Amino acid sequence: MSKEIVCRPLAETFSWLRMGGTEVTLPDGRRELACRLTPHENRTVVLEDAEEAALVTADLAEGACLQLVSIRREGAAPLTYSRIRVRCAERAEFHWYRLVLGGQETYDDCVVTLEGKNSAFTADIGYRLQGEDSYDANCEAIHLGRRTDSRITASGVLSDRARKLLRGTIDFRRGCAGSAGKETEDVLLMDETVRNQSIPVILCAEEDVAGDHGATIGQPDEESLYYMGTRGVDEAAARTMLAEARVDAVICRIPDADLREALMKETEA
Amino acid sequence: MKQDKTYVEDVNRAFYDFRYEDGDSYKVESGLTREIIEQISREKNDPDWMREFRLRSLEIFHAMKMPVWGPSVEGLDMDNIVTYVRPNTERMHTKWEDVPQNIKDTFERLGIPQSERESLAGVGAQYDSELVYHNVRKEVAEQGVVYTDLESAMRGEYADMIRSHFMKLVPPTDHKFAALHGAVWSGGSFVYVPPGASVEIPLQSYFRLNAAGAGQFEHTLIIVDKGAHLHFIEGCSAPKYNVANLHAGCVELYVGEDASLRYSTIENWSKNMYNLNTKRARVEKGGRIEWVSGSFGSHVSYLYPMSILAGEGAQCEFTGVTFAGEGQDLDTGCKIVHGAPDTTSHVNTRSISKSGGVSTFRSAVVVTEKAAGSKSSVSCQSLMLDDISRSDTIPAMDVRTGRADIGHEARIGRISDEAVFYLMSRGLSEEDARALIVSGFAENVSKELPLEYAVEMNNLIRIEMKGAIG
Repeated sequence: MSKEIVCRPLAETFSWLRMGGTEVTLPDGRRELACRLTPHENRTVVLEDAEEAALVTADLAEGACLQLVSIRREGAAPLTYSRIRVRCAERAEFHWYRLVLGGQETYDDCVVTLEGKNSAFTADIGYRLQGEDSYDANCEAIHLGRRTDSRITASGVLSDRARKLLRGTIDFRRGCAGSAGKETEDVLLMDETVRNQSIPVILCAEEDVAGDHGATIGQPDEESLYYMGTRGVDEAAARTMLAEARVDAVICRIPDADLREALMKETEA
Repeated sequence: MKQDKTYVEDVNRAFYDFRYEDGDSYKVESGLTREIIEQISREKNDPDWMREFRLRSLEIFHAMKMPVWGPSVEGLDMDNIVTYVRPNTERMHTKWEDVPQNIKDTFERLGIPQSERESLAGVGAQYDSELVYHNVRKEVAEQGVVYTDLESAMRGEYADMIRSHFMKLVPPTDHKFAALHGAVWSGGSFVYVPPGASVEIPLQSYFRLNAAGAGQFEHTLIIVDKGAHLHFIEGCSAPKYNVANLHAGCVELYVGEDASLRYSTIENWSKNMYNLNTKRARVEKGGRIEWVSGSFGSHVSYLYPMSILAGEGAQCEFTGVTFAGEGQDLDTGCKIVHGAPDTTSHVNTRSISKSGGVSTFRSAVVVTEKAAGSKSSVSCQSLMLDDISRSDTIPAMDVRTGRADIGHEARIGRISDEAVFYLMSRGLSEEDARALIVSGFAENVSKELPLEYAVEMNNLIRIEMKGAIG
């Protein structure tokens, strides 16, 4: 058994930045993936949550590109934890596609360091939580190199008594001139008993950067429901379509066509 | 390509930096002991409950830890802070000519009597730990509006009202400096606006801390009753010293049903000041609180006005600008709790950092289970004027009901070279072009202020912008 600190709860309202956080006791078993990509190497890794924690460490050399697809399914282990640490050299790219399709307790902690100039990181996080599901995610992009680029996009649906906490951090360190970071979040609240927490942080110690964040959190849009009603789609079906669209938007970005298709079928089912 | 930068020396801040010797004033020893608290309580002629309250707060202060999550307060040694300084006047005056000359000169130089004549419904002026002047226009008083110092109100007709509201919104257990305030508070204003009354022109309290190494701990309590309306302005400044000064005031605002209160602040403490102020409002059904906040001064600030939207349909609007220059670490923002159905909040802030200054926007929007149908939008924009400064944005949203609509946007960037070039092509110097752009950036606040204060704010920006070319 070991412990990891993965989230900094909102309960410590003004304390989350420099404090530790919640300790999560991890299962004994763990899967460790350490990869070192050579210059201009392109690799796709698919990681399906099993009973163990997943610890991913990746070192991307110049021009390398790593695409990590990680999927958490309902009915797997009650608790899963993934820790991802990636370092990008010049013009290296890391793309993380994260799907959480249920699960009692899911913890993610992803930190990407953009060391080399023109390196890039994208995170596409999609989740669909219901029942007593909870998802707690930390995603940090640290900009060190010049003209680095990051984009964190999260969209998901909460139903029943599901809970979600997302901390997204874009951290512009001194010297990363010309860099840009963007974070967007779209949360659909389907029931009155859900709980959503979002802490989108932008830290900036460099003048010549552009950092943006935008979030919309709310119930299904009445106008969209009405529009679909006028097209013969009943409200229940329209709400389902709006919910599915949040996750489908992430699946559509997965580069592997076979995996993309399989996941589309799975979520439709 | 590296950009060329031109540096210009800061202009001096003589407008605020003048000072008078405080040799005639009465002071307690520096530090915080039970004896000092009892001495302050005797000086204030406290009722028994207040004396007990102070002593209980002192115990809470000693039991609580210093905050570790914001700017460093290591330079603040409470053993070196004098918590009570009474200027050389025995009582509060209602005519400026009765105020001691040096104190009167101070407020004349700050333009307070002139503002009172021209644009205010009433003025309270505090010098160190005591209010030295308080007056309200006859026509306002005739509406039943009470605007007086808190201490005399505590012993008069409104004693019970004050006892039932004092530090109920901000209890001493809230945080360490709320406990400190509970122990050593002195001065401040009490405003009561009766049901249906409307104060069309603002009341203003101005707080001036003159003594070196001292603290100011005024308490402002405002109750706007059902259907009433008030605009209250708070101003503050201090001359600069080489030792730490402390401001740990407390503002408690009660906004009744269908009432509205606009609370405007232009804070320009000196850059040796630790500004650890606490402000909170409770808004009942259909009521509205509007905060307009400009933070320019202080060495360190922790300032997050909080609005508790307790009644159905209550509203909050927060508009703020923070300007952090050399040697400043200003951690500002707001907290909003949606505690009733159909409540709305709107936050619009700007942060500017230059010359190594650190500005942090920190906010929390909490939508409770009771707040179905509530809406909130938060917009914060930050401007970095050089690469030795820092600007952080730390907003949090906690939504505990599915029937809410929350929007948030944040942006950090720099002044566009194209905009500067355009203005320079129209004949402005680079310095003026940048000052103009920054003034425009902060317009969200200045347009919400009365004209005289908007002018003062723009002057402050112009002063701060000297030396920011690059």
